[in-house]
Amino acid sequence: MTKEVLHKRTTASAGEAAASPAGKFDQLFVNLGPQHPSTHGVLRVGLTLEGEVITKAEPDIGYLHRGTMKLAEARSWHQCVVLTDRWDYVSAMPNNLALCLAAEKLLAVQAPDRAQSLRVIMCELNRIASHLLFLGTYGIDLGAFTPFLHAFREREMILDLYEMLCGARLTYNYIRIGGVMSDISPEWAAKAREFLTFFKPRLQEYDDLLSFNPIFLARTEEVGVIPQALAVAWGLSGPNLRGSGAAYDVRKSDPYCGYEKFDFEVPLGKTGSCWDRYYCRCLEMRQSVRIVEQALDGLPSGDLLAKGVAKNVKPPPGEAYAHVEASRGDLGIYVVSDGGPAPYRMHVRAPSFVNLAILQEILVGRKIADVVAILGSIDIVLGETDR
Amino acid sequence: MALIDHLARIGRDAWAVGKGLRVTLVSLFRPSITIQYPREKLAPEPMFRGVLLYDVERCTACGLCVKACPSACIALAPQVNEAGKRVPKAAWYAIDLGRCNWCRLCEESCPFKPKVVWHSVDYELVFFSRSEMVRCWKPGFPLLGKVHDPDKDEFRDPAEQIVIQEVPARHDEKGPRWD
Amino acid sequence: MTPDILPPEPKVLYPKPVYSKDAGLLLSSRVWPTERWTARWSQPEYRKAAVQLAAILGGILVCGALIGELAKWGDLLYKMLLAAAAYTHQQLLARGIPSGLLGDPARVLAALNLTAEILWVSLKILIVVGIINLNGLWAVWWERKLSAHMQSRLGPMEAGRFHGWAQTALDSIKLLLKEDATPADADRAVHLLAPAVVIVPAILAFAPVLFGKELAAAKLDVGALYILSVSGVSVIGIIMAGWASSNKFSLLGGLRAAAQVVSYEIPRIFAVVPVLMFAGSLDLAAIDAAQQGYWLGFLPRWFVFWLPAGPIAFLLFLIASLAETNRVPFDIPEAESELVAGFMTEYSGMKWALFFLAEYAYVLLACFMMAVFFLGGGAAPLPLLSFIPSWIWMLAKAMAMMFVFMWLRWTLPRFRVDQLMDFNWKFMLPWSFVVVALAGATLAWL
Repeated sequence: MTKEVLHKRTTASAGEAAASPAGKFDQLFVNLGPQHPSTHGVLRVGLTLEGEVITKAEPDIGYLHRGTMKLAEARSWHQCVVLTDRWDYVSAMPNNLALCLAAEKLLAVQAPDRAQSLRVIMCELNRIASHLLFLGTYGIDLGAFTPFLHAFREREMILDLYEMLCGARLTYNYIRIGGVMSDISPEWAAKAREFLTFFKPRLQEYDDLLSFNPIFLARTEEVGVIPQALAVAWGLSGPNLRGSGAAYDVRKSDPYCGYEKFDFEVPLGKTGSCWDRYYCRCLEMRQSVRIVEQALDGLPSGDLLAKGVAKNVKPPPGEAYAHVEASRGDLGIYVVSDGGPAPYRMHVRAPSFVNLAILQEILVGRKIADVVAILGSIDIVLGETDR
Repeated sequence: MALIDHLARIGRDAWAVGKGLRVTLVSLFRPSITIQYPREKLAPEPMFRGVLLYDVERCTACGLCVKACPSACIALAPQVNEAGKRVPKAAWYAIDLGRCNWCRLCEESCPFKPKVVWHSVDYELVFFSRSEMVRCWKPGFPLLGKVHDPDKDEFRDPAEQIVIQEVPARHDEKGPRWD
Repeated sequence: MTPDILPPEPKVLYPKPVYSKDAGLLLSSRVWPTERWTARWSQPEYRKAAVQLAAILGGILVCGALIGELAKWGDLLYKMLLAAAAYTHQQLLARGIPSGLLGDPARVLAALNLTAEILWVSLKILIVVGIINLNGLWAVWWERKLSAHMQSRLGPMEAGRFHGWAQTALDSIKLLLKEDATPADADRAVHLLAPAVVIVPAILAFAPVLFGKELAAAKLDVGALYILSVSGVSVIGIIMAGWASSNKFSLLGGLRAAAQVVSYEIPRIFAVVPVLMFAGSLDLAAIDAAQQGYWLGFLPRWFVFWLPAGPIAFLLFLIASLAETNRVPFDIPEAESELVAGFMTEYSGMKWALFFLAEYAYVLLACFMMAVFFLGGGAAPLPLLSFIPSWIWMLAKAMAMMFVFMWLRWTLPRFRVDQLMDFNWKFMLPWSFVVVALAGATLAWL
């Protein structure tokens, strides 16, 4: 099925190219980025236009490349966690978690129950924070400025919670190999509950302000449609895939950190349009609130760090792959250990990198005015794309 | 029929826009939540990872923080006595704040309580040159360290710094505040 | 993770953190909206802000009153100027006119009257230009504050101490002092001329605008037509700016603006037609006069209440005015996420400020037009309140409409350019025809 889709796609685009009257219109090359206001970082998209219609789109990445995967080979395992913070810098907790899960697989240790629950709480809060940033910037891309600051108001509260918890607001280094860094206090739990009760009515406000605004709907419905088969063929994950209706969520299909104990749903879109991807994230925030509430209610007591994780861990030789449902999709980390103090090899399957690739497929044939709407709806973070 | 549909659509859209307008109008009369930054400043939480401080008097130059640092921004040298043997005292200690990751691994690796190297809650850091990013400590230097001025070849206080706090936090009368 | 080596008791006892006082007031705890938004009236800041808001609103009304008072003196000044002309003529006659200069004494009187007239007109032009400039300062500040509070921010707070009231004035000084950069490839003459072509029609269009009952710079029989036609000239300046900048984004922005403004002009003018039919005149003063009085003694006879055509025409005019002034949701020409800053991308300093000034002048113009055409001009909403002079009502209505403009701007996202055109040709235009028909039916029924 996948091959059929790919085949159709290539033949269709070749047919279109043949049908377009060459030389009738001038081909115009427009550089979107790397300093364009709505490329969300340093992304360059080379657009070839015929009139206002895009005939070719080439995402050009690498402006933020820092060689993290190579740097990891010269760092101890604990130090590698610091590197993961810098990939998807708007939601760093799942990055920490992915590496720690991989390392724990190698070490054959399991984080204590309390640490597992804390990990779930932090990752879900980070998912809310990340989706809020998406919601705000997507509003800005489409000309609505107010949702941006409303979303940041709430995001700021989550960052305050993180600051209380681990001292950092963006690059947390909170989840450690074998557990977590620090425990939550009763005041923290009270604050977190205060935030959740405050946040639920705000979700309705975002819907009123942006989600169901007729202009917003007109700009995002039926725009940037990714059919389910195409999304699967391009390896999309996260809300981009679920917006197309494919029910794939690592939290459900390959549960980690005790996600199987929580009662939550995986929201799905219908058509795979920009609006479906957008609203999928809005619904995910509601589910994240549910998960955090459940986790706070049933927080087990116990240790924070597993026994037997030394300061300079030396996992036995071997390899491990762990993946988590990060805010942007399926974040996988593959590590190889040669028994030394540093990973022999670390490879990252970054969701933003994979999701970005479909841009060259869905931009073709659209008007240039839709580029911003489509690019924004993919919700990439260039730190993760380039690594 | 089509006309009724058309009118119904107009009504729906107007209602949706009206709901959005209601949200902005309600927000207009809500108190603002921002602060006037240079005039008003937020006190960070006690856990906050701010500028690194270092107590040269208590340090034994064990070098655990040097090993723990993921970006190799800490350097130190132990004192040596007349016989050429190292003594548990630091001769000098330097942190390159330009390379610091603010990851707290150095503080966690420190075996002392209270820690010898720790994050204060100071979040205002301003540098005017690359050499100012390197904080140096020698016996007798303050907790905040000094900056080496390459032109005059002397150590001076990081004076051009905006410092919101004059004394390190995370250590108050109640004792050390971490973990 | 407890360390094996237990250290000795610390000799240094660290005192509590002390924060340097010069560096600003330290807030001991952060305030979450959960605390701020509950029991807001118990917070002294909130009560103070409410009092300040009331004071500002009162201040606007006082300003309106002052304008009206000055207008009375204006008539007197005009009479004095004419009297001075007549007096000079008398004196010249008494002393014997130097023969050969103009010959006929009547021509001398005409020349003197013309001088007085020119003085009077230039005074009025100065006042109108002053209004436009002041409006720029006021509207930008107001928009910034309004948007800030809609977004839980504070907006400008520093310049001028009180809520940053001097912010825009200082900004304009900054803009005057900025480097006037012109791109190397630009068509220099057109690039220079474009802001002037945009701002001059904006000033000219204010000539017949009614600021109160019969309070206008120029009495024109065809005032409504004049405003609508003159304000359309500005689009040429926008195209010039887009073309001369030699920038892809500017050109796209300029062309989009041209398409948009020209298209939306049609429903905008059609939305005024019911008003002209109801009033039976193109004269703004006559339109204002037609809306005086009350049905049943309390319902104002404003055209917006003339069902069913009035409210629909009002909404159409409001939407078309938003599009004409290039404001959200119709700010395609300067869509910053797509076109950087549209036709203004390559402008800086005062040239850029002129575009901005023109935009806000057109907003003010649209607000006054809505006040005159639909909201009863200087008429009070209730008979009890008719003692408040007409210019205050006029100003209040115009400012209320400006609030609506800003409110919409900070709520709605932006149309896509083809949707914008669809909206005009497939929605606005048919409905503007319908509204003319409805107005005709209303008149026939009356």
